[in-house]
Amino acid sequence: MASIVAYIEVREGAMTSPSRFVVAEARRIADAAGATVYALLTLGPCSHVEIDQLAAQVSAAGADRILCSSDEILAGVPLDVTHGMLLAQIAERLRPLLFFFPAGGVGIELGPPLAVRIGAAFFPNASVDVRAEDRTPEAASQRIVLHRWRAARDGQRRIDVADLERPVVATLAAATVSRPLGEACAEVEMLPCPEPKVARPRNLASEITAEDNAVELCSAMVWSAEPVSPAMRSALRADLPPEAVLVVDGETTPVSLHATSPSEIFIVASAAKTDDVYLPSQAPGAKVMRAGVPGHVSAAAIEDLAAAIDRARPASAKASS
Amino acid sequence: MIVLVCLESPEPGRAGRAALSLARQLAATAQIVALSAGGPVASASLELARQGGAHRVIHFDEPALDRADFFTLGMVLAEAARHIKAALVIAGEHSDNEGQGLVPAALAHHLGAPIVARVQDVERSTAADDAVVLTVRAGGRKNRIAMALPLVLSTSIATNATPVAGQSSRPGVETITFAQLGLDHSRVVPRPDLLGTRVPLAAPRIQYKSFDEVARMLLRR
Repeated sequence: MASIVAYIEVREGAMTSPSRFVVAEARRIADAAGATVYALLTLGPCSHVEIDQLAAQVSAAGADRILCSSDEILAGVPLDVTHGMLLAQIAERLRPLLFFFPAGGVGIELGPPLAVRIGAAFFPNASVDVRAEDRTPEAASQRIVLHRWRAARDGQRRIDVADLERPVVATLAAATVSRPLGEACAEVEMLPCPEPKVARPRNLASEITAEDNAVELCSAMVWSAEPVSPAMRSALRADLPPEAVLVVDGETTPVSLHATSPSEIFIVASAAKTDDVYLPSQAPGAKVMRAGVPGHVSAAAIEDLAAAIDRARPASAKASS
Repeated sequence: MIVLVCLESPEPGRAGRAALSLARQLAATAQIVALSAGGPVASASLELARQGGAHRVIHFDEPALDRADFFTLGMVLAEAARHIKAALVIAGEHSDNEGQGLVPAALAHHLGAPIVARVQDVERSTAADDAVVLTVRAGGRKNRIAMALPLVLSTSIATNATPVAGQSSRPGVETITFAQLGLDHSRVVPRPDLLGTRVPLAAPRIQYKSFDEVARMLLRR
């Protein structure tokens, strides 16, 4: 049976939400086309209990089988030099149709070298369609088609996995998964991690940057053209649901903004600025919306949005805050 | 140490400009060589390199490269890196046109060197001559790591730009060819299948939503 590999990124001991979406997408495709979903965990040294806890989350997200490598080599920054050989070994063994990476930057780091190594196509910020193809009198066959925008946004690239006869390595957008798609009991296969062929990187320092982290993993982004006062900023952030972030133009680390791929972007423009803004890369399925009325720009757009959120919040949520 | 910066031809992309800017961080202790493969000799990329702090500027004069795929281009750039004895190669993460982002990985593959993406800063290691210290955004963290050379770095559209110090003279443009690298044209084989079919399509229009609609969409998540 064909296989799909979903790379699971773990940050601060927990599976990221874009990783959950990657498994859900793999599940959706596998159910339609008939394939096995393998989720791949690459971890530093971990106890059996920690691995089992993560495996239960991954399994509940929709994986059929879980591959896990836990090794000191994998403990630091996820780089091709430390992770690449393991990924290539898995691709060589399973010969997957699709190898998915979640939004957040890990696919930028690991995806291109993997694609080059295994002779695969690479689709960054892809959306996936599964279409039934009429083959009367035979049963309909399912076509798996990946799309991505060209960077110039003047057209898309599309690839039908069956026509390519090679695997496709893709990074997907971040989106919310509302319910578990599997049971928390998939089998875990432990894999040894190959020793890198060249000198390993030496970690000198590592610093958590919570805001950048949230931006990289967000599935919805509220983008403000204008500076936002500290009071308004903390009020909005408290009101926004998890996986939704407020980004103020010019304040977020560009490299984090470049790694994010939200499925919904809400532009809150002002009188001073137009829509000519740097927005993050988007998958073809992403929606970009502007708050307001065409031809009218509010002088206090972010306050208008905050007031609208306050009106829309259920009374119970207002009471608890 | 020789640092090779790869620039697209004929126009440098945003990531290519960022690569040149990243390389400039090493200008005091390394020789910066900028290379643009294909295209005309009078190109914006080569001019940017001449003005932008490169010590040497090289034009890879091969019209065949204009139709090369990422894998071939990576192979050619790797041969060029060997030719000029570069210990460190820096490239933009992806072009502003296609934006697939495979050339740096193909280059590293053919060079047999590790690749690190999402690099924000680079400096010479004080502990070892054949190593660099990188600031890399990965795993939700800002990391400083030391890595041995040779190495390929890629960077995205904006790193910490360093100003160009006033240059007394701009370097001339040198030329290299396939023959100098022992390559032949039969190796330039386009592989469009790995790109997928191009579908001309206008980017979707931005939809207007009232503030109340946006609020409801956000809160239903």
